[in-house]
Amino acid sequence: MRDLGVNILFEGLNMQRLLEGLWITTRIALISISFSIVFGIITGLFMLSNNKIVRLFSRFYLEMMRIVPILVWLFIFYFGVTKIVPVHLSSELVCVIVFVMWGSAEMGDIVRGAISSLPIHQKESGIAIGLTELQIYTYIIIPQAIRRLIPGAINLATRMIKTTSLAVFIGVIEVLKVGQQIIEYSLLTYPTAPLWIYGFIFSLYFMICYPISVLARKLEMKWQH
Amino acid sequence: MVHNTQEALLEVKKLHKDYDGLTVLSDVSLSVKKGEVIVILGPSGCGKSTLLRCINGLEAIQSGKILLNKVDISGSDTQWHLIRQKIGMVFQSYDLFPHMTIIDNILLGPLKVQKRNKQEAREHAEKLLHRVGLIDKINAYPRQLSGGQKQRVAIVRALCMNPEVMLFDEVTAALDPEVVHEVLKVMLELANEGMTMVIVTHEMDFAKAVADKIVFMDQGEIKEIASPVDFFQEPSTERGKQFINMFNYNHLNKERE
Amino acid sequence: MKKIKGLSLLFISILLIGLVAGCNSSSKEVSVIQTIQENDSIRIGVFGDKPPFGFVNQDGENEGFDVFIANRFAEDLLGDASKVEFIVVEAASRVEYLESDRVDIILANFTVTDERKEAVDFATPYMKVGLGIVSPDGELITDVSELEGQKVIVNRGTTAELYFIENHPEIELVAFDQNTEAFNALKDGRGAALAHDNTLLFAWANENPGFSVGITSLGNEDVIAPAVKKGNTELLEWINEELETLAEEDFLYKAYDATLRSAFGETIDADDVVYQ
Repeated sequence: MRDLGVNILFEGLNMQRLLEGLWITTRIALISISFSIVFGIITGLFMLSNNKIVRLFSRFYLEMMRIVPILVWLFIFYFGVTKIVPVHLSSELVCVIVFVMWGSAEMGDIVRGAISSLPIHQKESGIAIGLTELQIYTYIIIPQAIRRLIPGAINLATRMIKTTSLAVFIGVIEVLKVGQQIIEYSLLTYPTAPLWIYGFIFSLYFMICYPISVLARKLEMKWQH
Repeated sequence: MVHNTQEALLEVKKLHKDYDGLTVLSDVSLSVKKGEVIVILGPSGCGKSTLLRCINGLEAIQSGKILLNKVDISGSDTQWHLIRQKIGMVFQSYDLFPHMTIIDNILLGPLKVQKRNKQEAREHAEKLLHRVGLIDKINAYPRQLSGGQKQRVAIVRALCMNPEVMLFDEVTAALDPEVVHEVLKVMLELANEGMTMVIVTHEMDFAKAVADKIVFMDQGEIKEIASPVDFFQEPSTERGKQFINMFNYNHLNKERE
Repeated sequence: MKKIKGLSLLFISILLIGLVAGCNSSSKEVSVIQTIQENDSIRIGVFGDKPPFGFVNQDGENEGFDVFIANRFAEDLLGDASKVEFIVVEAASRVEYLESDRVDIILANFTVTDERKEAVDFATPYMKVGLGIVSPDGELITDVSELEGQKVIVNRGTTAELYFIENHPEIELVAFDQNTEAFNALKDGRGAALAHDNTLLFAWANENPGFSVGITSLGNEDVIAPAVKKGNTELLEWINEELETLAEEDFLYKAYDATLRSAFGETIDADDVVYQ
């Protein structure tokens, strides 16, 4: 070994580049997750609609998002759209659009699952004391559903953070891609480069995902009641 | 038990209900006067629970009428969330909201539906809790209560809305035998205070004690309406006799001796 | 990518109606080169992780053989070598970048194949790539015939593996999935030689004393060329003329000296790589 591999992290602007890449990853993930929560609740309510057509359509939407790989969606929106209309959406915007579409569908299914797992008596008890449909959702269904969907939602959020690495295929230079560039550039001089770079990226991902799971556990503890 | 000859508070007229063509209630007519306690008996699946659910609008009906204070509430334009404040209902399953404390469970209706003054509603709730012996559980969560305690809270939750009539749908069926009596005791006290009640139960001794009228149902129809004394001593229908005999183990034993 | 086009047609109408309204579509009559000159910047797609052809250095700057040529294009077209916007592309999406007008030229180690010719227009090649064979200096292999009865290390699914299966079935192969595994096997002596793309071997041998590329060119040689969007003859002709002019001053050899020589070492002949 000609040199200490760890030095690769501090050579040139490498550290800054990795952190910038991380910021792009985090930004895409956070924006996508936030929108997905909002639209996911709406999608979930559509999935539970009494209207058969609405239910069918939201089911179709979910299946489309699941069957067609995320990478293909990214290509459709980044390259496909441009071929048909002269609109150049930025790669990051395309990422957010696709991730929100995907996240809303998955979140919708989580919301649907959480709500439909509630005993029917809960709703009937609400009806029996004269609550309106909206009040039943506000005071009874949604507060209980949120508790049930936390594990699934956290799982989805971490999946979304990890899936941001696909963004590289439409030219977003996120943290993983920066890492790859550094490794390829220095592999011949630092044979242990992959170990250090991927190890560092791992700890960066951990730094993002760990607080989320701590928060989730705290919420679950708080809602034991 | 209050007996009076006032006009009917709640009336069911020629009610018909089916699920996808399968008849569950047919030509059911029933009249409940203010202060009267009606106990509906009958074998499982006879439609007695469905009848309660129809009265509270939880199930749609195909024909017939339901009148509350002479107002038809079975039409499609019924403002059910207004009507339901007048009809309290307690279910078989423990149906408290698990994410709310006992007091929040009780106050949800009075505050959100009836928009009552918070102070007044809370005092009312405390009074009722005190009466059922659960004032010390006021800030507990439902999971910290036993089944019998939960059902007493469910009764308080319905009572706190100041209903004109209370419906009880097999409220002791899911309880451990040793706590059944604490719930029945509360119901008996309510009856004695003049609450109008329609009760579906399998507790025969309790029915005998609390009822002003026994309604016996079988296969979606009312077979007979009688006083408890008459019904338990000499049912007028063959099905009624068979039903009574099912609960009469002592009689069978004595015959063998 | 036919499937993608079909799907996108379906969804665009639903999702992008609002966006389309506000956009002025540029007329097709406008000259491509004129547009580039008006923008005062040319968009060139390069690799970011394929040293020494296209990579990003430790200061985050694009570098490499392809990048060197791209800078010269910008200099001759816009009068300033820095007036180029580098767009880092992935191998899998190079065609898409051209088709969707997100880059003007692809200069990303783009090997000319018949299939790709259907999708994009290739200019005159500037580089060639073939197979090479690297072996320890002590027992240097300089001809394929010397490999008889010996083991050759290859990577699974590469042209090197295919070449030996088709042309020298008598030679035993040891196949690996990862480059590092394969090179470690060579170091451990698990094979007499290793076959791979010659440019990769040049760089590796240069960093690993004791090993040399004894055979620098083997089998069918492929060429690498700049590519433009299908039908963009104006830019294509400009590139061809440009490459012709550059050939007069041996620019590609200068590019080799500037970017590849240090990576490949002095023993390698520039003509093994440069196409002129």
